[in-house]
Amino acid sequence: MELNKLERYWLTAVGMMLGAFVAATIVALLFFGIRLPSPVDRIDPQRLEETVFANPGIRQLAGNRYEAYVVAKSWAFEAGPDLGTPPVLRFPRGAEVTFYVTSKDVMHGFQIEGHTANLELVPGQIAKTTVRFNRSGEYAIICNHYCGAGHSVMYATIRVE
Amino acid sequence: MATISLAHQLPTNPRSLTMVMRERYLVGAHIITALIALMFGIFMGPFQAFHRSPTFVRYFPSIPIFSYYYQAVTAHGVMNALFFTTFFIIGFTYFVVERSLQRKLRLGSLAWVAYVSMAVGLVMMLATLLTEPQRSAVLYTFYPPMIAPALFYFGLVLLALGSWIASAIVFLTYRDWRREHPGERVPLAVFILIVNLIVWDVATIGVAIELVFMLIPASLGILQTVEPQLGRTLFWFFGHPLVYFWLLPAYVSWYTMLPRQAGGKLFSEPLARVAFLMFLLFSVPVGLHHQFSDPGVSASSKGVHTLLTLIVSVPSFMTAFNVGAALENAGRNNGGKGLLGWVWKQRWGDPIVALQLFGMLTFIAGGFSGLINASSQLNATIHNTSWVPAHFHQTLGGAVTLTYISIVYWMLPAIRGRQLFSKKLALWQGITWFVGMTLFGLSMGEAGLAGAPRRAVTSAAPYLSERALFWLDVTAISGLILLISSILLYVNIVGTLFFSRRPVEAGEIPITTRSGDTRSPLWFERWGIWLGVLGLLLLMAYGPVFVEMLTYEWNILRYVPVINTPMR
Ligand code: HEM
Ligand SMILES: [Cu+2]
Ligand SMILES: [Cu+2]
Repeated sequence: MELNKLERYWLTAVGMMLGAFVAATIVALLFFGIRLPSPVDRIDPQRLEETVFANPGIRQLAGNRYEAYVVAKSWAFEAGPDLGTPPVLRFPRGAEVTFYVTSKDVMHGFQIEGHTANLELVPGQIAKTTVRFNRSGEYAIICNHYCGAGHSVMYATIRVE
Repeated sequence: MATISLAHQLPTNPRSLTMVMRERYLVGAHIITALIALMFGIFMGPFQAFHRSPTFVRYFPSIPIFSYYYQAVTAHGVMNALFFTTFFIIGFTYFVVERSLQRKLRLGSLAWVAYVSMAVGLVMMLATLLTEPQRSAVLYTFYPPMIAPALFYFGLVLLALGSWIASAIVFLTYRDWRREHPGERVPLAVFILIVNLIVWDVATIGVAIELVFMLIPASLGILQTVEPQLGRTLFWFFGHPLVYFWLLPAYVSWYTMLPRQAGGKLFSEPLARVAFLMFLLFSVPVGLHHQFSDPGVSASSKGVHTLLTLIVSVPSFMTAFNVGAALENAGRNNGGKGLLGWVWKQRWGDPIVALQLFGMLTFIAGGFSGLINASSQLNATIHNTSWVPAHFHQTLGGAVTLTYISIVYWMLPAIRGRQLFSKKLALWQGITWFVGMTLFGLSMGEAGLAGAPRRAVTSAAPYLSERALFWLDVTAISGLILLISSILLYVNIVGTLFFSRRPVEAGEIPITTRSGDTRSPLWFERWGIWLGVLGLLLLMAYGPVFVEMLTYEWNILRYVPVINTPMR
């Protein structure tokens, strides 16, 4: 196909732009350690009591690292009887927390205000994300995936102190 | 000027603003049904915006529709995004194909079968939404394990079925034309619409499988359990190409009609064809970019889809340049001087041109927010926040809908045989829509960045920051502007149908019957080849995903129980 001069310039510009996008994405994935969530494990949502989610809540690991197990159900987050309803999760400043979250019924969401943590909670799947809390303050955990009548009041709180 | 013909013929002048009876009924039925669906959908929108605003709800706590937020959002999404668009696109496609190829649709009476199928689907859907509001509040994405009454899904199946029959009709009509015109290129508008229907037919396979093998059996009680991760993936196999299905008919107007309406000519037709072949190949194998946050899909597949998503942004950049150059040409023909003089010298006073220009302006903002959605890391900050509806109201609600409305402003008079009720109202409708959608995009976007979720009665949410609440109040103002705009739109529609007395003015529809393009290679129209390449791309992009899901160690569809009533 014959192209005139302007058309060729334009195609070259578009090609270069695309090249730059692709390069930026590859660099981001390979070098900056930007990771997309990947499957952790599957789970039977009707038998959570036979799994680690039987006792949701916070586990302290070595250093300033934690694991938090949270169950989402219509329409509340559950993190064990000690943390209240809706639960309040407390961490010291600088804590690095790995969240393991799953849903007991329909789809829910899990987003931490002010941080890059955003999970789809698909029943039958365990979702995982790691967050470092560098600023003290109070941050909402928001159910951001429509889950029925109580969707807009489904939340929990993180207190970093 | 007016070309009167026998009822079973085509108008002798393909650009005639008057439709013959056959066209009038067939195209008219589709366009008017589309406008009825849009009416059900559109008037929910402002009330959603009001209901999300804490200040509005404080002062007006008891508007009746406020007891049914999720039902309203379901109706809004289903009617606007699925029924309005499909009816409009099929009607528009029939019209443009017949006029451009100057031949009647092959098997034209089947077109009525297709219409009836889609119309029965619409009636079923409305019936479920109205009679079973609690159980049918599953939104237009209907993710399992939430299951609606079976009628909801049957309505969608009939819509898809009708659209498949319609595309078969269009393909056969094209094939006849192709046989009789060896060595010619099909007019660009038809080329685009064929690409569009191929994309649609391939994409709907995904959602059809979800409906027939998972959702309908579950709603009938045949299946007690479902696989939500698989359902979501099948949905987005359809859901992303769906946005191109909406966009490409608007591009038909921008590429093949607007240059003439604006007084200029298209910069490059071969480049346009290249752009649309790229849409054909790359708009389907990218659905996972809606599922970046999904736990059950591997990161490597997400990476592949990210790269393909970047590629599918290319044809839109090509469009920006090609259509932009046509507008520059038009502006200079109208006397625009200097670097930007051509921008002001557009026909801003003509609603048909102005609405499309407004659409392009909102599309630029929408396109950039789309690139942000697509970049996987930034996505984690805005996923499922009100940033997302902000984005697609600029693209779908702004660019696409404004362009469709601009088409309605010339097509409805052609259907009715009377002038548009009021050009001035039409222009003001466009201006208020543009202002409203821009403010909507800004405020919903800001609220989303401040953490406001989408699909939520945010005025009742106990956890939102002051900043989020402020922007939600601004959204209510944009809702008010859009309510006014919607009223102007329907006043004009009803006025044109029932109260306009003057016969259609002189003028013509910018239909092209012969492609002026002599440079595009003829193999651009070897659709078999393109389907083959698309098949390979799909195998590469989706093969591993489905293999992964179908080989879960436990039995597929076994564990997750169906939930029937999201409202209790
Ligand atoms: C009168 C103008 C409109 C207003 C004020 C409006 C308002 C809204 C609002 C506030 C939402 C968000 C609901 C939520 O996330 O909680 C929404 C969602 C939506 N709108 Fe609109 N809208 C308008 C026009 C349109 C048009 C013309 C279309 C498409 C043709 C459209 C398609 C959608 C879709 C697909 C959703 C998503 C529904 C969902 O999340 O399930 N809207 N609209
Ligand atoms: Cu929830
Ligand atoms: Cu929710």
